[in-house]
Amino acid sequence: KDAKKDNLGLDEEVKIKKKRINVKLDEARLLREDIGIPKLRREAPKRLKFKGKGHEYRDAARLLSYYQLWADDLYKKAKFRDTLQIIEKLGHSRRMKMERENWIMESKKKTSGDTQEKD
Amino acid sequence: PSKMPETVDPMIRAHILSLCSALGGTSTVEDGGYSLGDEALACLKDLKKWLKLYDQKMNRFDVARCMAEANLVKGDLLEILGAWEEDEIEDRMKQRLALGCVELLVPLTWPFERYNEQTTINHHRHIPVLQFAQASYKKAILQHPSKRILSNIVRVALPSIELPPDERTERDEGIIKLAIYFFRNLVMIEHPMITETDTGEEISRSATIEVLEDQNVLHFLLMLASEMGNEFNTQDVVVMEVIYHLVKSVDIEKMFLTDEQEAQKQGQDLTALLKLEDEMKRTSIRGASTRHNRFGTTVWIERDDKTRSFVSGQGALLGKSTGLDKMDSSKKWKKPGGADSKGVSRKTEHDMSLTLERRAKTKLREFVEDFLDACFNPLFSHLRRAIDRDAQRLVEANQQQYFYLIAWFLKAERIRRKTQTSTEDPASADLESFGLVASVLNQESLITLNRRMTEWFDTKQWTPLQSAMRCFTQILLTVQDMAVSPLEDDQEIAENIQNRLFYEEVTLDLVVMILRAYTRQPFGWLDDCTEMVHVHLKMLERFSKQHDHMFIRSRKRARAQRKKNATPGEDAAGDVPEEGDEEDEEMAELSRATMKERAFDYSRFEQKFLTPSCVNTFLAFIGNYKELNYSQMKRAITFFHRVFVKRGQEVLLFRIDIVELFNRILQGPEGLPSSHPARKEMDQFFKHYMRRLVKMLEKRPELYVELLFTKVNSTMHYLQFGYDKEVKVSK
Repeated sequence: KDAKKDNLGLDEEVKIKKKRINVKLDEARLLREDIGIPKLRREAPKRLKFKGKGHEYRDAARLLSYYQLWADDLYKKAKFRDTLQIIEKLGHSRRMKMERENWIMESKKKTSGDTQEKD
Repeated sequence: PSKMPETVDPMIRAHILSLCSALGGTSTVEDGGYSLGDEALACLKDLKKWLKLYDQKMNRFDVARCMAEANLVKGDLLEILGAWEEDEIEDRMKQRLALGCVELLVPLTWPFERYNEQTTINHHRHIPVLQFAQASYKKAILQHPSKRILSNIVRVALPSIELPPDERTERDEGIIKLAIYFFRNLVMIEHPMITETDTGEEISRSATIEVLEDQNVLHFLLMLASEMGNEFNTQDVVVMEVIYHLVKSVDIEKMFLTDEQEAQKQGQDLTALLKLEDEMKRTSIRGASTRHNRFGTTVWIERDDKTRSFVSGQGALLGKSTGLDKMDSSKKWKKPGGADSKGVSRKTEHDMSLTLERRAKTKLREFVEDFLDACFNPLFSHLRRAIDRDAQRLVEANQQQYFYLIAWFLKAERIRRKTQTSTEDPASADLESFGLVASVLNQESLITLNRRMTEWFDTKQWTPLQSAMRCFTQILLTVQDMAVSPLEDDQEIAENIQNRLFYEEVTLDLVVMILRAYTRQPFGWLDDCTEMVHVHLKMLERFSKQHDHMFIRSRKRARAQRKKNATPGEDAAGDVPEEGDEEDEEMAELSRATMKERAFDYSRFEQKFLTPSCVNTFLAFIGNYKELNYSQMKRAITFFHRVFVKRGQEVLLFRIDIVELFNRILQGPEGLPSSHPARKEMDQFFKHYMRRLVKMLEKRPELYVELLFTKVNSTMHYLQFGYDKEVKVSK
């Protein structure tokens, strides 16, 4: 009898498989400390060194490969150009605009502070 | 007998078939020639009635389908038409019969409308079959051994044409129209499905033009067009339609090449293409593996934080950027693009290009030159008046065709002048003024064009707008040619036209707004739009430089004006009762009153182009770099130069996607070929751009983030100059 029951599986608990959550590139991900824009702000000025005049193509390649690897870490599945498009679109939201202004304000204060110290 | 699926009511089929067989047939006596039935004329009339009272009235195609099955056109109608000998002009009977044939041919060759609300299952059942039938009608008509089907149809209309316009009866007018409609239908028919075995060459444009010219139809059209407004009146629209379908998509520049030039050009083109292919092959070899495809190489790319990305394949070893390219191309996910439910990106007739065969080309060229000499002004000025009057006989598509044709013929005239001056000795060449095309350069025409452009822009009808943009560009280019003409009269007129063209601020703003409105229209639209902007801006700049005191009529800001009026208005408030309708009228009057002249400031106008949406339109344009020729590339580079160097709005272009695009154009494996004439300019611009970008990044590290986005107005000034804009306090 038990075997029969088992075959039908009536007593077994029904497990509902959760749908796999698709990783989405949204504001939250874009603002993440470890992979998002904060990382870019922290590291890019230090890591990227340019050669300037006469090395334009090399500089461009360096800049692009840095951003490409950053974008790859941020959002693995999309191609570089697609990721850039998504990010650009996110930049129009109210929250992102505020964040962007804040970042600029911060560095503005920093530079003005620097000059004041110099004075 | 095989069982045919019943597509049509058998009773109707029986009726039509019996009428067709009563019409006449192959004779057994006279070498198998065609002999008419006793009541042939009555049969023709009955068939016509069937088409009219059954098919047209009930919105069906049953009768037309039966006629296609009965081989009526080739078997009977063309036989009757072809049998009308040239020396039998006076034969009333034959003329009546021929007219009867035309009356059947016109509805049978009538173009099918696109599927719409009035479409029934019946249409879906019959139209595909009938399209093939029409193609076979056209083939039979063009290739008929008598070689006089078309000229006989002209002859049907001749007695009515000979009469002076005021003596023509309604029937005469109808017959004339019938003949023209027939030619319109004939020119419009295209092969519905071209395959390897059935190329549709027999009914191609080239073949059509040749037969039309052989049988004097082109002369007939020229005669009608040149006498428009004189001998003819209401036929203008149909004549225009025939010409439109005759010349649409034809490559004008190629048409004006001589055989020698063309042969030379073809040779050059072939060499260039082979060279290009060679280059492509070499670049593809450079990236390919030098060993077999199972050689199995794995490369990792290590970042500064010691994380790694793995890429496989030998090619990845070549360099960092190829490795990154490979990493990118292995990603399968695609960004969903969004459905184009409105069909904005669908290609239209304006995006096609057509090359004619040599013999047809010479014939069409003669036709075009004759048209320019005698018909351009009468036809187009007559049509313009009809458009302004909103005449009943115009359908919506006609206006679009009107502007398309003007643009086409203006370009043809400009190229004709160019070839004339280059081939002839400049001293001996007799200089003609631009009077031949003057009718579209007068004030009324410009107003009409402007009004339609505004209307189409407001209602987002992009395809008609495209034809109007083309027309506008060609008018500008013609005026530009006029301004440098050696004839003083021409120069003076050009000066006047430019004054008028650049007088209304609304018109100037429209150009900017159209540029900003680009979303996903097809490439042809983008090409026409950017060309219009380029030509317009350049001419306006030159003109405003030449004229220190240039005035334009602009609308004062309505809001500011209203405020002003509000205060003194209160005193009079007691006299005027406030009502909604009157308020509207008042507003309209107000806006009329607020038009005022003011000095034109070019740089202020140019400022309007310095927006992300304008930049994006040009970026989308240059994104097609693989298909762009020198002048198109140059157009885009000029715009970027204008923004970046001339106006110093560098921040507007500092975007990582722009760096990526420019880099791809110049350095990518599918970039601009090294032989491309615009490569040097692009290279110079990009180098300058990168130098500035690198400097700016070092100066202002916050740009690393902003590179990802289109800039916000509030921070743009700071990013560019390092300090905030001084806020001007208005007094």
